[in-house]
Amino acid sequence: MARSLFITVMISTALTLLVAGACVAGAASAPDNYRFYCAQCHGLEGYGDGPNATKNQPVEPRDHTSAYEMGKLTDEDISYVIKDGGIATSKSTLMPPFGKTLTDAEVTELVSYIRKLCNCSAR
Amino acid sequence: MKSFVTIFSVVLAILFLFYAATPTFAGSSESGKKIFKKNKCIACHQIEGPAREKTIADQMKRKGPELWYAGSKFKAGFIEVWLKNPEVIRPMEYYSITEKNRGDHIKLNSADAADVATYLESLRSGAVKPVGIQPAVDRKGRIIFSKSQSCYGCHQVLSRRGRVVGGLTGPSLIGAGKRLNPDWIYAYMTNSTAFKPVKDMPIYAGILSNTDMAALAAYISTF
Ligand code: HEC
Repeated sequence: MARSLFITVMISTALTLLVAGACVAGAASAPDNYRFYCAQCHGLEGYGDGPNATKNQPVEPRDHTSAYEMGKLTDEDISYVIKDGGIATSKSTLMPPFGKTLTDAEVTELVSYIRKLCNCSAR
Repeated sequence: MKSFVTIFSVVLAILFLFYAATPTFAGSSESGKKIFKKNKCIACHQIEGPAREKTIADQMKRKGPELWYAGSKFKAGFIEVWLKNPEVIRPMEYYSITEKNRGDHIKLNSADAADVATYLESLRSGAVKPVGIQPAVDRKGRIIFSKSQSCYGCHQVLSRRGRVVGGLTGPSLIGAGKRLNPDWIYAYMTNSTAFKPVKDMPIYAGILSNTDMAALAAYISTF
Protein backbone atom coordinates (compact mmCIF):
# COMPACT_ATOMS: atom_id res chain seq x y z
CA MET A 1 0.00 0.00 0.00
CA ALA A 2 2.72 2.45 1.06
CA ARG A 3 4.68 1.42 -2.00
CA SER A 4 1.86 2.06 -4.45
CA LEU A 5 1.29 5.44 -2.82
CA PHE A 6 4.98 6.20 -3.28
CA ILE A 7 4.81 5.22 -6.96
CA THR A 8 1.70 7.36 -7.47
CA VAL A 9 3.41 10.35 -5.91
CA MET A 10 6.54 9.80 -8.03
CA ILE A 11 4.54 9.53 -11.24
CA SER A 12 2.48 12.63 -10.56
CA THR A 13 5.59 14.61 -9.65
CA ALA A 14 7.24 13.52 -12.90
CA LEU A 15 4.12 14.46 -14.87
CA THR A 16 3.89 17.88 -13.22
CA LEU A 17 7.54 18.55 -14.03
CA LEU A 18 6.99 17.46 -17.63
CA VAL A 19 4.00 19.75 -18.06
CA ALA A 20 5.83 22.66 -16.44
CA GLY A 21 8.80 22.01 -18.71
CA ALA A 22 6.57 22.06 -21.79
CA CYS A 23 5.22 25.48 -20.79
CA VAL A 24 8.66 27.00 -20.31
CA ALA A 25 9.65 25.54 -23.70
CA GLY A 26 7.58 28.36 -25.28
CA ALA A 27 10.75 30.45 -25.56
CA ALA A 28 12.87 29.45 -28.54
CA SER A 29 16.62 29.64 -29.11
CA ALA A 30 18.08 32.66 -30.91
CA PRO A 31 19.01 30.71 -34.11
CA ASP A 32 15.47 29.27 -34.29
CA ASN A 33 13.89 32.68 -33.76
CA TYR A 34 16.20 34.28 -36.30
CA ARG A 35 15.39 31.64 -38.93
CA PHE A 36 11.64 31.91 -38.29
CA TYR A 37 11.10 35.66 -37.85
CA CYS A 38 14.09 37.54 -39.22
CA ALA A 39 15.39 35.45 -42.14
CA GLN A 40 12.30 36.24 -44.22
CA CYS A 41 13.82 39.69 -44.72
CA HIS A 42 17.41 39.50 -43.46
CA GLY A 43 18.18 36.12 -45.06
CA LEU A 44 19.16 32.83 -43.45
CA GLU A 45 22.77 33.95 -43.00
CA GLY A 46 21.90 37.58 -42.24
CA TYR A 47 23.11 39.10 -45.52
CA GLY A 48 19.85 41.04 -45.96
CA ASP A 49 18.77 38.82 -48.83
CA GLY A 50 15.58 37.13 -47.59
CA PRO A 51 12.63 36.58 -49.95
CA ASN A 52 10.97 39.83 -48.85
CA ALA A 53 13.95 41.84 -50.05
CA THR A 54 12.40 42.18 -53.50
CA LYS A 55 13.71 44.72 -56.01
CA ASN A 56 10.66 46.94 -55.63
CA GLN A 57 11.00 47.46 -51.85
CA PRO A 58 12.04 51.04 -51.05
CA VAL A 59 14.58 50.00 -48.35
CA GLU A 60 16.83 46.96 -48.14
CA PRO A 61 16.91 44.89 -44.95
CA ARG A 62 20.08 45.54 -42.97
CA ASP A 63 23.01 43.23 -43.76
CA HIS A 64 23.59 41.86 -40.25
CA THR A 65 27.05 40.64 -41.22
CA SER A 66 28.22 44.18 -41.96
CA ALA A 67 30.46 45.27 -39.10
CA TYR A 68 30.41 48.78 -40.58
CA GLU A 69 26.61 49.16 -40.38
CA MET A 70 26.03 47.14 -37.21
CA GLY A 71 28.93 48.88 -35.44
CA LYS A 72 26.85 52.08 -35.54
CA LEU A 73 24.36 50.50 -33.13
CA THR A 74 24.66 49.89 -29.40
CA ASP A 75 23.23 46.68 -27.96
CA GLU A 76 20.43 48.81 -26.58
CA ASP A 77 19.67 50.25 -30.03
CA ILE A 78 19.42 46.74 -31.44
CA SER A 79 17.17 45.59 -28.64
CA TYR A 80 14.85 48.63 -29.11
CA VAL A 81 14.76 48.16 -32.86
CA ILE A 82 13.73 44.52 -32.47
CA LYS A 83 11.02 45.40 -29.96
CA ASP A 84 9.66 48.63 -31.47
CA GLY A 85 10.66 48.32 -35.11
CA GLY A 86 12.73 50.58 -37.38
CA ILE A 87 11.10 53.66 -35.91
CA ALA A 88 13.11 53.10 -32.68
CA THR A 89 16.35 54.09 -34.44
CA SER A 90 14.66 56.48 -36.92
CA LYS A 91 14.89 53.85 -39.64
CA SER A 92 12.30 52.46 -42.04
CA THR A 93 9.08 50.97 -40.68
CA LEU A 94 9.80 48.09 -43.05
CA MET A 95 11.64 46.75 -39.99
CA PRO A 96 8.62 45.51 -37.95
CA PRO A 97 8.14 45.57 -34.15
CA PHE A 98 8.53 42.22 -32.38
CA GLY A 99 7.99 43.47 -28.83
CA LYS A 100 4.69 41.60 -28.45
CA THR A 101 5.94 38.50 -30.25
CA LEU A 102 9.26 37.78 -28.50
CA THR A 103 10.00 37.80 -24.79
CA ASP A 104 12.65 40.18 -23.40
CA ALA A 105 14.96 37.22 -22.86
CA GLU A 106 14.54 36.13 -26.48
CA VAL A 107 15.32 39.67 -27.68
CA THR A 108 18.47 39.78 -25.53
CA GLU A 109 19.62 36.47 -27.01
CA LEU A 110 18.91 37.74 -30.52
CA VAL A 111 21.11 40.77 -29.84
CA SER A 112 24.06 38.49 -28.97
CA TYR A 113 23.27 36.32 -31.98
CA ILE A 114 23.35 39.35 -34.30
CA ARG A 115 26.63 40.47 -32.70
CA LYS A 116 28.08 37.12 -33.68
CA LEU A 117 26.84 37.58 -37.26
CA CYS A 118 28.65 40.93 -37.60
CA ASN A 119 31.48 39.88 -35.33
CA CYS A 120 31.41 43.45 -34.05
CA SER A 121 30.43 45.65 -31.14
CA ALA A 122 29.27 49.26 -30.90
CA ARG A 123 31.96 51.65 -32.07
CA MET B 1 -53.85 50.33 -63.75
CA LYS B 2 -55.50 46.95 -64.03
CA SER B 3 -53.13 45.93 -66.84
CA PHE B 4 -50.19 47.01 -64.71
CA VAL B 5 -51.32 44.68 -61.93
CA THR B 6 -51.70 41.84 -64.45
CA ILE B 7 -48.21 42.41 -65.90
CA PHE B 8 -46.79 42.66 -62.43
CA SER B 9 -48.30 39.36 -61.33
CA VAL B 10 -47.20 37.63 -64.53
CA VAL B 11 -43.64 38.84 -63.96
CA LEU B 12 -43.80 37.65 -60.36
CA ALA B 13 -45.09 34.27 -61.45
CA ILE B 14 -42.33 33.90 -64.03
CA LEU B 15 -39.72 34.85 -61.45
CA PHE B 16 -41.18 32.34 -59.03
CA LEU B 17 -41.17 29.56 -61.62
CA PHE B 18 -37.62 30.44 -62.60
CA TYR B 19 -36.46 30.17 -59.00
CA ALA B 20 -38.35 26.96 -58.35
CA ALA B 21 -37.02 25.34 -61.52
CA THR B 22 -33.39 26.40 -61.14
CA PRO B 23 -31.37 23.46 -59.91
CA THR B 24 -29.54 24.42 -56.73
CA PHE B 25 -25.76 24.23 -56.92
CA ALA B 26 -25.48 24.11 -53.15
CA GLY B 27 -23.06 21.28 -52.43
CA SER B 28 -23.43 18.57 -49.85
CA SER B 29 -21.33 18.96 -46.73
CA GLU B 30 -21.42 15.20 -46.05
CA SER B 31 -20.09 14.40 -49.50
CA GLY B 32 -17.59 17.27 -49.26
CA LYS B 33 -16.15 15.79 -46.09
CA LYS B 34 -15.70 12.42 -47.86
CA ILE B 35 -13.98 14.02 -50.85
CA PHE B 36 -11.73 15.93 -48.43
CA LYS B 37 -10.71 12.64 -46.78
CA LYS B 38 -10.36 10.74 -50.05
CA ASN B 39 -8.00 13.33 -51.52
CA LYS B 40 -5.90 13.33 -48.31
CA CYS B 41 -6.38 17.09 -47.88
CA ILE B 42 -5.94 16.36 -44.20
CA ALA B 43 -2.23 15.70 -44.79
CA CYS B 44 -1.70 19.47 -45.12
CA HIS B 45 -4.82 21.09 -43.67
CA GLN B 46 -5.98 20.95 -40.08
CA ILE B 47 -9.77 20.72 -39.78
CA GLU B 48 -10.14 20.51 -36.03
CA GLY B 49 -9.66 23.47 -33.72
CA PRO B 50 -8.61 24.96 -31.49
CA ALA B 51 -5.02 25.76 -32.50
CA ARG B 52 -2.55 23.69 -30.50
CA GLU B 53 0.86 24.79 -31.84
CA LYS B 54 3.19 25.84 -29.01
CA THR B 55 6.60 26.03 -30.64
CA ILE B 56 8.13 27.08 -33.93
CA ALA B 57 8.76 23.39 -34.62
CA ASP B 58 5.03 22.65 -34.21
CA GLN B 59 4.17 25.33 -36.76
CA MET B 60 6.89 24.23 -39.18
CA LYS B 61 5.32 20.76 -39.33
CA ARG B 62 2.23 22.24 -40.99
CA LYS B 63 2.21 22.04 -44.76
CA GLY B 64 -0.77 24.25 -45.52
CA PRO B 65 -3.11 26.77 -43.93
CA GLU B 66 -5.36 25.44 -41.18
CA LEU B 67 -8.96 25.18 -42.31
CA TRP B 68 -10.78 24.57 -39.04
CA TYR B 69 -12.16 28.12 -39.24
CA ALA B 70 -12.41 28.25 -43.04
CA GLY B 71 -16.11 29.16 -42.96
CA SER B 72 -15.35 32.20 -40.80
CA LYS B 73 -12.24 33.21 -42.71
CA PHE B 74 -13.25 33.10 -46.35
CA LYS B 75 -16.02 34.96 -48.13
CA ALA B 76 -18.97 32.81 -49.15
CA GLY B 77 -18.35 31.43 -52.63
CA PHE B 78 -14.59 32.01 -52.63
CA ILE B 79 -13.58 28.46 -51.69
CA GLU B 80 -15.64 26.84 -54.46
CA VAL B 81 -14.25 29.13 -57.16
CA TRP B 82 -10.69 28.69 -55.85
CA LEU B 83 -10.86 24.89 -55.71
CA LYS B 84 -11.80 24.79 -59.39
CA ASN B 85 -8.95 27.11 -60.29
CA PRO B 86 -6.42 27.23 -57.46
CA GLU B 87 -4.29 30.32 -58.04
CA VAL B 88 -1.24 30.93 -55.89
CA ILE B 89 -2.04 33.00 -52.79
CA ARG B 90 1.28 32.55 -50.96
CA PRO B 91 4.25 33.29 -53.22
CA MET B 92 6.45 30.98 -51.09
CA GLU B 93 5.82 27.38 -50.07
CA TYR B 94 4.05 27.34 -46.70
CA TYR B 95 6.47 28.86 -44.14
CA SER B 96 9.46 28.29 -46.40
CA ILE B 97 11.95 31.05 -47.03
CA THR B 98 13.84 29.18 -49.71
CA GLU B 99 11.20 27.45 -51.86
CA LYS B 100 8.79 29.29 -54.14
CA ASN B 101 5.21 28.03 -54.15
CA ARG B 102 5.08 25.58 -57.06
CA GLY B 103 1.40 26.30 -57.60
CA ASP B 104 0.60 22.60 -57.79
CA HIS B 105 -2.44 22.56 -55.50
CA ILE B 106 -5.01 19.89 -56.35
CA LYS B 107 -7.78 21.10 -58.69
CA LEU B 108 -11.35 19.83 -58.23
CA ASN B 109 -14.16 19.41 -60.76
CA SER B 110 -17.24 21.60 -60.32
CA ALA B 111 -19.33 19.08 -58.39
CA ASP B 112 -16.54 18.15 -55.97
CA ALA B 113 -15.53 21.79 -55.51
CA ALA B 114 -19.12 22.70 -54.55
CA ASP B 115 -19.31 19.86 -52.03
CA VAL B 116 -15.92 20.50 -50.45
CA ALA B 117 -16.68 24.25 -50.29
CA THR B 118 -19.96 23.56 -48.51
CA TYR B 119 -18.15 21.33 -46.05
CA LEU B 120 -15.36 23.85 -45.39
CA GLU B 121 -17.82 26.73 -45.05
CA SER B 122 -19.47 24.77 -42.24
CA LEU B 123 -16.22 24.92 -40.22
CA ARG B 124 -16.52 28.05 -38.10
CA SER B 125 -14.85 29.69 -35.15
CA GLY B 126 -16.53 31.68 -32.39
CA ALA B 127 -13.37 33.80 -32.24
CA VAL B 128 -14.65 35.63 -35.33
CA LYS B 129 -17.32 37.97 -33.96
CA PRO B 130 -19.84 39.62 -36.29
CA VAL B 131 -18.36 43.10 -35.83
CA GLY B 132 -19.63 44.23 -39.22
CA ILE B 133 -16.40 45.65 -40.71
CA GLN B 134 -17.23 47.21 -44.09
CA PRO B 135 -14.72 47.72 -46.92
CA ALA B 136 -13.63 51.37 -46.90
CA VAL B 137 -10.73 53.28 -48.41
CA ASP B 138 -10.01 54.63 -44.98
CA ARG B 139 -7.22 57.21 -44.67
CA LYS B 140 -6.11 55.87 -41.31
CA GLY B 141 -6.03 52.29 -42.60
CA ARG B 142 -4.00 53.33 -45.62
CA ILE B 143 -1.44 55.21 -43.56
CA ILE B 144 -0.92 52.28 -41.19
CA PHE B 145 -0.69 49.84 -44.09
CA SER B 146 1.75 51.78 -46.24
CA LYS B 147 3.57 54.04 -43.80
CA SER B 148 3.51 53.37 -40.08
CA GLN B 149 3.67 49.55 -40.28
CA SER B 150 4.64 48.90 -43.92
CA CYS B 151 2.53 45.74 -44.22
CA TYR B 152 3.67 45.44 -47.85
CA GLY B 153 7.06 44.41 -46.44
CA CYS B 154 5.74 40.83 -46.41
CA HIS B 155 2.46 41.02 -48.37
CA GLN B 156 2.04 41.60 -52.08
CA VAL B 157 -0.27 44.41 -53.09
CA LEU B 158 -0.99 46.37 -56.28
CA SER B 159 0.83 49.67 -56.53
CA ARG B 160 -1.08 52.76 -57.59
CA ARG B 161 0.14 52.12 -61.11
CA GLY B 162 -1.23 48.58 -60.89
CA ARG B 163 2.10 46.79 -60.55
CA VAL B 164 2.56 43.85 -58.18
CA VAL B 165 4.85 45.01 -55.37
CA GLY B 166 5.74 43.89 -51.85
CA GLY B 167 7.30 40.98 -49.98
CA LEU B 168 6.80 37.30 -50.59
CA THR B 169 6.57 35.49 -47.26
CA GLY B 170 3.05 36.54 -46.31
CA PRO B 171 -0.07 35.59 -48.23
CA SER B 172 -0.64 38.02 -51.09
CA LEU B 173 -3.28 40.60 -50.26
CA ILE B 174 -4.14 41.21 -53.89
CA GLY B 175 -7.80 40.20 -54.09
CA ALA B 176 -8.08 40.00 -50.28
CA GLY B 177 -11.43 41.79 -50.52
CA LYS B 178 -12.82 38.97 -52.63
CA ARG B 179 -11.20 36.29 -50.51
CA LEU B 180 -11.48 37.27 -46.87
CA ASN B 181 -14.35 38.00 -44.50
CA PRO B 182 -13.62 41.54 -43.19
CA ASP B 183 -14.62 40.47 -39.67
CA TRP B 184 -12.08 37.65 -39.86
CA ILE B 185 -9.32 40.13 -40.80
CA TYR B 186 -10.25 42.14 -37.72
CA ALA B 187 -10.34 39.05 -35.49
CA TYR B 188 -7.00 37.84 -36.87
CA MET B 189 -5.38 41.22 -36.19
CA THR B 190 -6.79 41.69 -32.68
CA ASN B 191 -6.62 38.07 -31.50
CA SER B 192 -4.16 36.27 -33.76
CA THR B 193 -3.22 33.62 -31.21
CA ALA B 194 -6.72 32.11 -31.42
CA PHE B 195 -5.93 31.21 -35.03
CA LYS B 196 -2.14 30.94 -35.14
CA PRO B 197 -0.41 30.88 -31.75
CA VAL B 198 2.98 30.71 -33.51
CA LYS B 199 3.47 32.62 -36.74
CA ASP B 200 6.20 34.57 -38.51
CA MET B 201 4.07 37.72 -38.65
CA PRO B 202 4.55 39.89 -35.56
CA ILE B 203 1.73 40.18 -33.04
CA TYR B 204 0.21 43.66 -33.39
CA ALA B 205 -2.27 43.47 -30.52
CA GLY B 206 -0.89 45.90 -27.94
CA ILE B 207 0.95 47.84 -30.65
CA LEU B 208 -2.04 48.93 -32.72
CA SER B 209 -5.35 49.83 -31.05
CA ASN B 210 -8.59 48.05 -31.88
CA THR B 211 -9.69 51.16 -33.77
CA ASP B 212 -6.50 50.99 -35.85
CA MET B 213 -7.14 47.29 -36.56
CA ALA B 214 -10.72 48.02 -37.62
CA ALA B 215 -9.45 50.71 -40.01
CA LEU B 216 -6.85 48.30 -41.40
CA ALA B 217 -9.39 45.51 -41.84
CA ALA B 218 -11.74 47.90 -43.66
CA TYR B 219 -8.89 49.07 -45.90
CA ILE B 220 -7.57 45.58 -46.73
CA SER B 221 -11.13 44.52 -47.57
CA THR B 222 -11.04 46.92 -50.54
CA PHE B 223 -8.06 45.11 -52.12
C1 HEC C 1 9.59 42.69 -43.05
C2 HEC C 1 11.01 42.56 -43.15
C3 HEC C 1 11.84 42.49 -41.88
C4 HEC C 1 11.75 41.57 -40.86
C5 HEC C 1 10.78 40.41 -40.73
C6 HEC C 1 12.81 41.89 -39.96
N1 HEC C 1 13.50 42.99 -40.38
FE1 HEC C 1 15.04 43.88 -39.45
N2 HEC C 1 15.12 45.30 -40.91
C7 HEC C 1 14.32 45.33 -42.03
C8 HEC C 1 14.67 46.48 -42.85
C9 HEC C 1 14.04 46.86 -44.17
C10 HEC C 1 15.71 47.14 -42.17
C11 HEC C 1 16.45 48.41 -42.61
C12 HEC C 1 15.78 49.63 -42.09
C13 HEC C 1 16.46 50.88 -42.60
O1 HEC C 1 17.62 50.80 -43.00
O2 HEC C 1 15.81 51.93 -42.61
C14 HEC C 1 15.96 46.37 -40.96
C15 HEC C 1 16.89 46.72 -40.02
C16 HEC C 1 17.21 45.97 -38.92
C17 HEC C 1 18.26 46.30 -37.98
C18 HEC C 1 19.15 47.53 -38.04
C19 HEC C 1 18.47 48.75 -37.50
C20 HEC C 1 19.33 49.99 -37.65
O3 HEC C 1 19.05 50.96 -36.93
O4 HEC C 1 20.26 50.00 -38.45
C21 HEC C 1 18.28 45.29 -37.05
C22 HEC C 1 19.19 45.18 -35.85
C23 HEC C 1 17.24 44.34 -37.41
N3 HEC C 1 16.62 44.78 -38.53
C24 HEC C 1 16.98 43.17 -36.73
C25 HEC C 1 15.94 42.30 -37.03
C26 HEC C 1 15.62 41.12 -36.27
C27 HEC C 1 16.41 40.62 -35.08
C28 HEC C 1 14.55 40.57 -36.84
C29 HEC C 1 13.79 39.33 -36.40
C30 HEC C 1 13.29 39.32 -35.06
C31 HEC C 1 14.17 41.41 -37.97
N4 HEC C 1 15.04 42.44 -38.05
C32 HEC C 1 13.09 41.16 -38.80
C33 HEC C 1 13.34 44.44 -42.36
C34 HEC C 1 12.93 43.37 -41.57
